[in-house]
Amino acid sequence: MNLILFTLKRLAGLAALLLVLSVLVFFFTRAIPGDIAALYVGGNAKPEQIEQARLELGLDKPLYTQYLRYMGKLLQGDMGLSLRTHRPVLKDLSEKIPMSLELVLLALIVAVLLGITLGGIAARKQGTLVDEWIKWFTAAAVSLPIFFLALLLQLVFFDQLGWFPLQGRLDSMLEFTHPIELITGFSFVDSLVTGNFTAFFNVAWHMVLPVAALTLGPLGFIARLTRSSLLEVMTQDYILAARASGLSEGVLYFRYGLRNALSPILTVIGLMVALTMLNTFFVEMIFNWPGIGYYALIAITSLDFPALMGVTFTVGSIYVLANTATDIMRRLVDPRIK
Amino acid sequence: MQVRTYDFNKLAQEALEDHRKARGYNLRLFLRKKLAVFSTLVLIIIMLSAIFAPWVAPYPEQGKGATNLEERLQPFSGKHFLGTDIYGRDLLSRVIFGARVSVFGGFFIVLMAAVIGVPLGLWAGYREGVSGAIIMRTVELVLSFPTALVAMAVAVVIGAGTVTALIALVIPWWPWYTRLVQGEVLSLKNMLYIEAAQMLGYGRVYILLRHLLPNVLAPVIVMMLLDVGPAIIAIGVLSFLGLGTQPPNADWGLMVWNGAQNLLGEWWIAIVPGFAMFLLVTAFNIFGDSLKEILDPN
Amino acid sequence: MSSKTQQEPILSVQDLTVSFEGSRGVVRILEGIDFTLYPGEVLALVGETGCGKSVTAKSLLDLIPQLSRQRTGRVSFDGTDLLKLSNRELIRVRGRSIAMIFQNPQSSINPVFTLGEQIFRLIRMYLQDAIDQICKQQNLKQKTAIGLIAKEKLVEVGLTETDRLLKSYAHEVSGGMAQRYKIALALLSSPEILIADEATSALDVTVQAHILKLLKKMSQKTGTAILFITHDLGIAAQICDRVAVMYSGRIVEIGNTMDIFQKPLHPYTRGLLEAVPRLGEKDPLRFISGMIPDLSNPPQGCRFHPRCDHRMAICRTQKPIYKNKNGDHAVACHLYNAKAAG
Repeated sequence: MNLILFTLKRLAGLAALLLVLSVLVFFFTRAIPGDIAALYVGGNAKPEQIEQARLELGLDKPLYTQYLRYMGKLLQGDMGLSLRTHRPVLKDLSEKIPMSLELVLLALIVAVLLGITLGGIAARKQGTLVDEWIKWFTAAAVSLPIFFLALLLQLVFFDQLGWFPLQGRLDSMLEFTHPIELITGFSFVDSLVTGNFTAFFNVAWHMVLPVAALTLGPLGFIARLTRSSLLEVMTQDYILAARASGLSEGVLYFRYGLRNALSPILTVIGLMVALTMLNTFFVEMIFNWPGIGYYALIAITSLDFPALMGVTFTVGSIYVLANTATDIMRRLVDPRIK
Repeated sequence: MQVRTYDFNKLAQEALEDHRKARGYNLRLFLRKKLAVFSTLVLIIIMLSAIFAPWVAPYPEQGKGATNLEERLQPFSGKHFLGTDIYGRDLLSRVIFGARVSVFGGFFIVLMAAVIGVPLGLWAGYREGVSGAIIMRTVELVLSFPTALVAMAVAVVIGAGTVTALIALVIPWWPWYTRLVQGEVLSLKNMLYIEAAQMLGYGRVYILLRHLLPNVLAPVIVMMLLDVGPAIIAIGVLSFLGLGTQPPNADWGLMVWNGAQNLLGEWWIAIVPGFAMFLLVTAFNIFGDSLKEILDPN
Repeated sequence: MSSKTQQEPILSVQDLTVSFEGSRGVVRILEGIDFTLYPGEVLALVGETGCGKSVTAKSLLDLIPQLSRQRTGRVSFDGTDLLKLSNRELIRVRGRSIAMIFQNPQSSINPVFTLGEQIFRLIRMYLQDAIDQICKQQNLKQKTAIGLIAKEKLVEVGLTETDRLLKSYAHEVSGGMAQRYKIALALLSSPEILIADEATSALDVTVQAHILKLLKKMSQKTGTAILFITHDLGIAAQICDRVAVMYSGRIVEIGNTMDIFQKPLHPYTRGLLEAVPRLGEKDPLRFISGMIPDLSNPPQGCRFHPRCDHRMAICRTQKPIYKNKNGDHAVACHLYNAKAAG
């Protein structure tokens, strides 16, 4: 029962937060210099056309009215039309988000699995050469700025070694010969599910570098956290008691102690999600990956306000949701938190 | 009634260290210490270069932005150690001048964040009440959004530039310190010696300064040390997006952005400043780690 | 009680020395520990904080990985020298033949697993044969059999509402319940020896009494010998057959409980007994002057001599050896060595 109440409370907080977010986003986009109506109409617009656009878009009304209008439409699922593509922003986003999520989810899964493993090994082999190597590696991993890492990966693995492609999600030829039928929107999944193996391998091949760039930072961070957390856990009384009852060191570290060490990692996952979503922005920019980051970039440079609002709101919501989910998960793992 | 066994733990800890020495871990321990020393050296070199940039850089004018178009896009050479960029500017000089922004910017952000955040945290933790609640709600609000994103939003609104970027970064940064300090104060507040001081009639401010602050300082300093790296990267991120230092001034993030276009040909233009950032941040992290081990060995 | 000492000892500790090279030189935490434990008996290991009694216990089973290399001497158990066993071999001994319970029962239980999960794991580890037998006899699934065994064991140590208990976590049970649970875990495999390291020191006095009674009862029931470590002489007197008094890494006196309390030989033992306040006494509290020695720079000769009222010249230079080591009452003190010689 406690868990349900807790979840409800958190969800209520979530709703409040999203509300605040919407206000902030709205007024933020209005604060950016630029004439929305003019941009909507485009290049050589006559003043009358701009005026007409202004009326159509409701830009003549006071700000709070505009906000209420926007919120009203938002709750109905209408985020307005992109000033650039002239399509509903919602539609644009629903296509772009899964493409970004592909990278983010894969990167996070790898980061968590590999990170915990590396951290656990480093803790178990504390003081040995293996531990030193892992410490060096993770120190470097968290020190790499994402844009530098992405460029570096391109330079080394495409330019020098030629192992992976430079950019994009799919070879342009394949867009025609083996187009991916989109079901979930996740090209990785869809190509597999529809049996389009040529495209599947091609997408996978394209995904390696961007995912590597995204995963390295969180991986290093999680590894370090796991290591220190696990080492701390191993000094506890219950570990001593377990050792006295005949458990081997390996089991003590990995089956017994690791469970206790996971709590701080869960706390940090929300942070990792935020970090990775931010990094996706740069990775998509550099690798030309057609996701939400790329979409946002173009929206910024073309001052496409509805798109910008849609993106910011969506990303903000995902972030806030991830945080709430993390809190709930923490509660599940550690029964001591009331 | 508890029987303390602290003697044993201390002895065992010493045993572990000496055990390692005896086992020939000398080499690794030495290496590790050497690494800390090395990183401190790197830090000092970079910081000194940043301070004395006009005298250390071989081509200070180019470092500041003067162009030199006859020698553009040159690889490493005797004349230009790290090559030249698309405007022919000596990269080594540019990197040295760029260090100024990164190093001082990093310190500035962390320092300001602490200066703003710590007192607020002390107040909120000690006083609680309405003012404390307002502070903590604000903290939660700001912290519920990604730091860099908030900074970018602010930078967009108040305009691009080195100083504005720094200010934009301080805004989402200080709440971390408030939250840390408030947590520490809350747990320390219940310690008996605080109650004793209160009963003896010491004033609030006195207790705050004399009893709470010193105990709170250690984790704050640790956080500050470990924050410098991320702060430097954050500055780089903003500049990379064009929200930070404006051309022709030198800034590592900006330089990477400029160099990205020529990545596949004249790769050094982007890689050199990026590597400089990586080097500085790594040095800070290792330095911070070593200091953390001394300040807080648990 | 003397008949017990005629049997073969189940554990024989000979000249156990545990030291390490500290930054300040060699530190001898334990110096020449000698004692024997007979089957089914309760032996108290009594001493002040820092005398090394806990280290003694943990060293037997090599529970302090850092100190494993610096142990010398011989610990005979079941025909083998425990000090010479590899970690893998020791794992077979720990929990099965020699079990241990600790001072803080609640923190000795892993907080993120239920009590049930932890006892089930140990049952699977130690009692696979019993499980299989029950499964066959009563035609049950493994899980059910394990559950039955668990509940049975919990009831044996006086716990009720076992279903609820198995589902609870460490922080949800009281100290007394937690220690009973730990005792149940320790006795699962009917070990030959149970080491209780300050097992009652963190409990309320009334609970203490219950736990002591329980230990005595279980010991008699399963024939398990108990090495009872404590700083409290009174507790030692309650359930122990023999008492070993430790001071600064050495055992200074060892004998039957009656003998120790009525005819204490070593000045330190005498001092301990006199220091216990008695109701109705009008004299001021008696205490042993001085402080326990710094182990990295202990006194020469007998480690107790700086605080001893009966010290002689020889105490400053020579370590006393046991007198009457193989009899019922042994003491390491020059007072008695001299007499024996003379």
